[in-house]
Amino acid sequence: MRMVLWVLGLLCCVQAPWAWAGDEERKLEAVFIGRFASYIEWPAKPRDRFVITLLDDNPFGSLLDDLYRDKRIHNKPIELRYATRLEQVGETDALFITLTSSAARAAAIDYAQRNGILTISEAKGFAESGGIIQLDFIEQKARIKINHGAALKSGLRIGAPLLTIATVLRGDKP
Amino acid sequence: MFDRISIRYKLIVLLGLSAALALLISSAITIYSTYLSESRSSLRVLHQLTDVISENMRAALAFADAGSANTMLASLRADPHILLAVVNDESGRALAEYRSAGLSTAAEPRFRAEVQGRILESAEALRREDGFVEHIDNDFMAVVRPVFFDGKPIGLLVVVSDTQLMWAKIRELVLLQAATSVLTLVLLLFLSVKLQSLFTRPIMNLVAAMQDVARTKNYRAVLGSDRRDEFRNLYDGFNAMLADIRERDDQLSRLATTDALTGLANRRNALDVMQTMVARAQRKDEPLGVIMLDIDSFKNVNDRFGHPMGDLVLQEVSLVLQASARDYDLVARLGGEEFLVVCDCGTQEVTIAVAERIRAGVEGRQISGPAGEALQVTVSLGVYSAVPRAGAEDIEEMIRAADKALYRAKEAGRNRYVVA
Repeated sequence: MRMVLWVLGLLCCVQAPWAWAGDEERKLEAVFIGRFASYIEWPAKPRDRFVITLLDDNPFGSLLDDLYRDKRIHNKPIELRYATRLEQVGETDALFITLTSSAARAAAIDYAQRNGILTISEAKGFAESGGIIQLDFIEQKARIKINHGAALKSGLRIGAPLLTIATVLRGDKP
Repeated sequence: MFDRISIRYKLIVLLGLSAALALLISSAITIYSTYLSESRSSLRVLHQLTDVISENMRAALAFADAGSANTMLASLRADPHILLAVVNDESGRALAEYRSAGLSTAAEPRFRAEVQGRILESAEALRREDGFVEHIDNDFMAVVRPVFFDGKPIGLLVVVSDTQLMWAKIRELVLLQAATSVLTLVLLLFLSVKLQSLFTRPIMNLVAAMQDVARTKNYRAVLGSDRRDEFRNLYDGFNAMLADIRERDDQLSRLATTDALTGLANRRNALDVMQTMVARAQRKDEPLGVIMLDIDSFKNVNDRFGHPMGDLVLQEVSLVLQASARDYDLVARLGGEEFLVVCDCGTQEVTIAVAERIRAGVEGRQISGPAGEALQVTVSLGVYSAVPRAGAEDIEEMIRAADKALYRAKEAGRNRYVVA
């Protein structure tokens, strides 16, 4: 029993730095969502708000609300929505996908492409699957992968400064 | 020592010094002005570079992409004058850095410390989106610019460059300026050697003329000039001075040769002129007539009427003498009331005629004194005429003969002439 407790305690200590690293990455991720939007042009929409929707699990807690309260993107106040199913997404400008199923992600990507929505995810292979921005963190450093072809299909224009710092896929290849 | 140098060389030296000073001042101003404009221009170029980098760096800073930031800064390698470039994130940590291989390890700490100091001094300026900090000194220049994203500062870009290009341009200008100045100075000196004569020649001519006059005592010289400037005034002044001297000389000459009261030749001049007349008469074997005369009872005139009246009588008698003698005869006052007339080509008949004219003229002359008194005087005359014989007859002998005749005229009752 003592051994079990000792091992559990050891695991907690070892896990703590990882948890701290994960928090920092979440914060960066949350900030990056807004910053991505600054480098992207959408086709003209009649909405008077800039809508960011989170699809499926919310890994940010209240971080997005705190970060984007009273902020503006493209001179529009930001509205945050949280959806658990694709059907709940509705009209949105940016869609952050945390779906774990690749099929579900593919459906979401397809929906987004038809409706001119920016798709962002940290799932592996997201950009290759047609998602627009895939965000990875390696040792707390962001790696951005952009599927430029997917963006164009969605009717979105991505600014050169963002393309410059990202790995850009044209089609499904860099 | 400077006083002894010729005016020609003084002028050249002065022109040369003036030109050199003017060139020096203008060169200094030009070089300083160039330093200022080159500094501004160099900083402007650095600002433009920093603007471009910060624009491109925004995305890298926004997404904390150190790799992209380093890649962007690495492109600065293309410019060998960029020594250092640093991108700091909003917390002040370096996101990316570029360090030139040519950056001296000894100088680097000073650059960093200087830039850091400037950043701290100008923290307020760096909080504005259009704010910046710049620094330039002899060794390096730097521009620091904040990078903003959506109105918030997300980082700081620092670019440090050397000043070699600027100093190279200034060195080039200094050399060019020096060469131009030397060339200009040489040209000016050459021109001044040529042109100084415009000023010195009139002066040297005047000096030569003055020296000539001083040596020859020829005050009748007139210095001619076709100039229309101040030298003309100088020449005119010199000529006027010579004219004054001539007039004074003539006056002195007149004073030396004429009797002040009557204007007739004085004794000394009379003897000189008579010498000439005798010599010519001897040469031409012509007679010379000599008349010695004096005013009868002149002492009584002075005693009775005073010396002023006496002087008036002498003057009146002189007028009669001049009117009675011919133009080429010598009329002189020998002293007191004694006069001499020498008739050129004076035969006895001619000399007697002149003597009679004088006697009658004086006798008939009414002399009015200053107080209204009326006076008449007479003269006694001794006449002698002969062809001067070389060696035997001389002036004294002729005058003595005439004088003896005058004495006989006095003895005979005055107011008459007697022929020797």
